[in-house]
Amino acid sequence: MSGKVARGRRRRETLLPYLLLTPALVLLCGMIYPFCLGLYYSFTSYWLQYPKRFRFVWFDNYVSLLDEPLFGRALEFTLGFTVAAVVLQVGLGLAIALFLHGRIPGRGAIRAMMLLPLMMPPVISALMWKIMMASTNAGILNYMLSFVGVDPINWFGSTRGAVASVLIIDTWGNLPFVALILLGGLQALPSEPYEAAKVDGASPFAMLRYITLPLLAPFLILTITFRTMDSLRIFDVIYATTLGGPNDATTNLHIMAYQYAFQWYQMGKGMAQAIVLLILVVMVSYLLIRLWNRSAESNAQ
Amino acid sequence: MTGRRPAGGESARKIAVLVGAAILLLWTVFPFFWILLTSLKSPGDMLSVPPKFVFSPTFDNYAALVMGEQRGDYASTRPDFPRFFLNSIIISFGAVALSVAAGIPAAYALARFNFPGKDALAFVFMSFRFVPFIAFVIPLYLLYQKIGLYNTHGGLILAYQLITLPFTIWMLRSFFQEIPSEIQEAAKIDGCSWLGVLTRIILPLSMPGIAVTVILGFIFCWNAFNYPLMLAGRQTFPVTVGAIQFISYEQVLWGQMAAATIVAALPQLILSLMVQKYIVRGLTMGAVK
Repeated sequence: MSGKVARGRRRRETLLPYLLLTPALVLLCGMIYPFCLGLYYSFTSYWLQYPKRFRFVWFDNYVSLLDEPLFGRALEFTLGFTVAAVVLQVGLGLAIALFLHGRIPGRGAIRAMMLLPLMMPPVISALMWKIMMASTNAGILNYMLSFVGVDPINWFGSTRGAVASVLIIDTWGNLPFVALILLGGLQALPSEPYEAAKVDGASPFAMLRYITLPLLAPFLILTITFRTMDSLRIFDVIYATTLGGPNDATTNLHIMAYQYAFQWYQMGKGMAQAIVLLILVVMVSYLLIRLWNRSAESNAQ
Repeated sequence: MTGRRPAGGESARKIAVLVGAAILLLWTVFPFFWILLTSLKSPGDMLSVPPKFVFSPTFDNYAALVMGEQRGDYASTRPDFPRFFLNSIIISFGAVALSVAAGIPAAYALARFNFPGKDALAFVFMSFRFVPFIAFVIPLYLLYQKIGLYNTHGGLILAYQLITLPFTIWMLRSFFQEIPSEIQEAAKIDGCSWLGVLTRIILPLSMPGIAVTVILGFIFCWNAFNYPLMLAGRQTFPVTVGAIQFISYEQVLWGQMAAATIVAALPQLILSLMVQKYIVRGLTMGAVK
């Protein structure tokens, strides 16, 4: 009798977590179902304006990407932008973190201020900079640059200006993310290695190179991981400023998929490009997470 | 001579630090300052060369934003900004409420129970943090058009679950895990059921964590742009999509756009200062504490 009750209770215990998860799982299905639907569409010739042409085309949408000149350029910009953004933001972010880690007056206030760009909606940051980057002389940025002898830059109208502006706006919003994580990492470092190095008369540079950076590696890799994955799929800033132009100079895979789906209504092709971008993000994140695990392990030893 | 050199090095260091701090502050804060100035300018001052720092301020841009109608020499504001603001509040609150309601039991299960598939499930939720939105928005757009969720608050609240649900579950889980399991065990011995443990111990003890999760979730919803861009219409646009409506083919209403960005940013600025200690934790879904 009591054994039966106990068994019933145990069964309830094993079912309980699934019961608790049910509402979340229902919502999860609400996310996975449209994704599967989209995956199916990527194998079809779904074109919103020509519903009668709808048929299953296997891998045609994927194969045709290889003949699409824009695809190569978009892939190149996606990867190039990601590398540039990550190097710039992690490099500058590390410099800012080291700077703030020193005894700086008003560090708390600077830290609090750095949160503001970070928490802004990216599209709103983009619009703010768009106002400052007006290409005429009324643009404050060009006006300020004129004091250091730089001719007015056509920010969104020229290829290099457009690429630079997207990079600047993305950096403004995300530099604080890198700096704050690395600052947190620096403040958590043990002090013993530094004391030992001081006794040995190590230079500040040697301490940075041989103590700080290796100990900071898990934090560095974490910020690189987050920044890489967000840069690969950057959309809001480009949409609000250049919309991929001029001459597709700032078109990445995300913008390209958007254009196919929502400007030309080729849903099948757009979805295939979205899947290619997704695969790219998954592959890169898999590599970075493996790297992170390894560095966390070697630090623990 | 040798006694003075360190003093000279010290003051040089101080100057370098001050210059560095000044550059950092300028880079961070100047855009806000400039947009605030721009939002207070009349159209004439807006386009002056060189840009004006001193001018007679006007609140006409804000007035135009609030009233959304023709005012003097200002072009009429077609974007209905008060409605966009209200939409942002409705959608963000709805999305966060739904996520927290579903997320609390889910996070509790993931934090306190061992069951097959637990890690895989936690990872699936996490992976939504890194998915390109376009892979979801294309099928959602087609689906919503078919079942009538397009351009509705309900549809947007459901779509926003992609942003808030994984975040809520991971954040709450990390807060729940911080509560020592001994307290839980003691309560169980005293005869508390799982529901008792959850409502009498876990929830009261993690109230601050839940508050932080709600506020950060609200901020992320407020920031969302690309889902509503495709899934909302003029009646349901949030402020992020609303602000971009000031750019049209004929003209850009710079002053009103500046005012709109200030208004759209204000809740963010206040909320993020409230939870500043937890922002990094929120952005990394609990990975960095």
